[in-house]
Amino acid sequence: MTRSALELDLAACHSCHKVSDIKNPECPRCGAHLHARKPASISRCLAFGLTGILAYIPANLLPIMVVTQLGTREKSTILGGVATFWEMKAYPVAITIFIASVMIPGLKFVALAVLCAAAKGKINLPPQSSNKIYYLTELVGRWSMVDVFVVAILVGLIQLGNLMSIEPGTAAIAFGLMVILTMLSAHAFDPRLIWDRIRKESPTNPSSK
Amino acid sequence: MSQHHHYTWPRLPDVRHRVACEYCDTLHEVDLIEEGREAHCLECGFVLYRNRPSSLQKAVAFGTTALSLFVLVMWFPFISMNAQGNLSEVSIPGAVAALWREGGQLIAISVALFVIVFPAALIASLLYLCLPLLFGRSFPGSRRVMRWFLGVQSWVMVEVFFLGAIVSLLKLIKLADVQLGIGFWSSAGLMICLAGAVGGIDRTELWDRIETSEFNGKEKS
Repeated sequence: MTRSALELDLAACHSCHKVSDIKNPECPRCGAHLHARKPASISRCLAFGLTGILAYIPANLLPIMVVTQLGTREKSTILGGVATFWEMKAYPVAITIFIASVMIPGLKFVALAVLCAAAKGKINLPPQSSNKIYYLTELVGRWSMVDVFVVAILVGLIQLGNLMSIEPGTAAIAFGLMVILTMLSAHAFDPRLIWDRIRKESPTNPSSK
Repeated sequence: MSQHHHYTWPRLPDVRHRVACEYCDTLHEVDLIEEGREAHCLECGFVLYRNRPSSLQKAVAFGTTALSLFVLVMWFPFISMNAQGNLSEVSIPGAVAALWREGGQLIAISVALFVIVFPAALIASLLYLCLPLLFGRSFPGSRRVMRWFLGVQSWVMVEVFFLGAIVSLLKLIKLADVQLGIGFWSSAGLMICLAGAVGGIDRTELWDRIETSEFNGKEKS
């Protein structure tokens, strides 16, 4: 197997990626704190992730916006919105919202749990697959924010006094918080931990490639 | 690989140029590569760095276009609507203000950060770095600005907001007569320009250029 920077007493800066001596307290190029691995990576990843799950529940159960139309107040949830689009036969929109707001956050929690388990050695995952999972988790996270932006646009647009007006619901806050927490969770995870474990387990094995 | 016939980027002499793979930490020497090529990790195959053709020119061109589109996005309405004679329209600052008034202050702040403040910071930092580099110079504090530029990237959500506008449009289309405004089309352009600007220049190259220009500046003075 190839040598890692850590095995050679070197560390790549987490901010600018310059490789320098691990004994440097700060990155000589950009001045960020230097550490070979993200500190407390798995604990922080799990802490943000679990808090994210807590926010995920109200985000899906509570109303994301409240529509007042001719004196009647109607609360709408995300799943309710998906159902409405489905009944309108707007299937692509229904599927897009369902994927972005329900499936992606759910899968993200699973993905992060799998990555943490692999880094801890609880499960055996081919490192190439863990790379892909991490890459995808980082890539798709932001797209869940779409619902919060829909609320922002509808609240901004529909303020027609007695005729019709829209207020943001509690779920909008929970939802935004959930997206931010899952993004922080993914940022906190250090994919190099999985490779460290593989290097430790097969120190003499030459790379298969 | 011949380095003489193909344009690469300037870098500091007498320094070991090394890069560790972000995914598996495998250490590599940074060899200069031809324009249009990518260097991959020998262990896991992840992209280590790229040499983008005319990267600085592209970053500046996309960056300035993004700046002008950003002004249009802030100024003009995204969507306008006519519901039984009631005209109404929404821009991004307008949506933030309405959220604030209607009791969604936290959401107002996050929308303002993800769609106004962070995109503005991204464009400003890119231009602050790349404009002087076109002339082989760098402005003071470039290293700090570079850190902001790298840090803010994952929190810029213009393209997500754009998708949100499309979803809103589809929600409204049955209720009222809705029209897309200049803000909407400008944000489509902004989205493309931001992707072009950020993807157009590799951070390894940008760091090398900043360090070289600072080094040359010191030599002269």
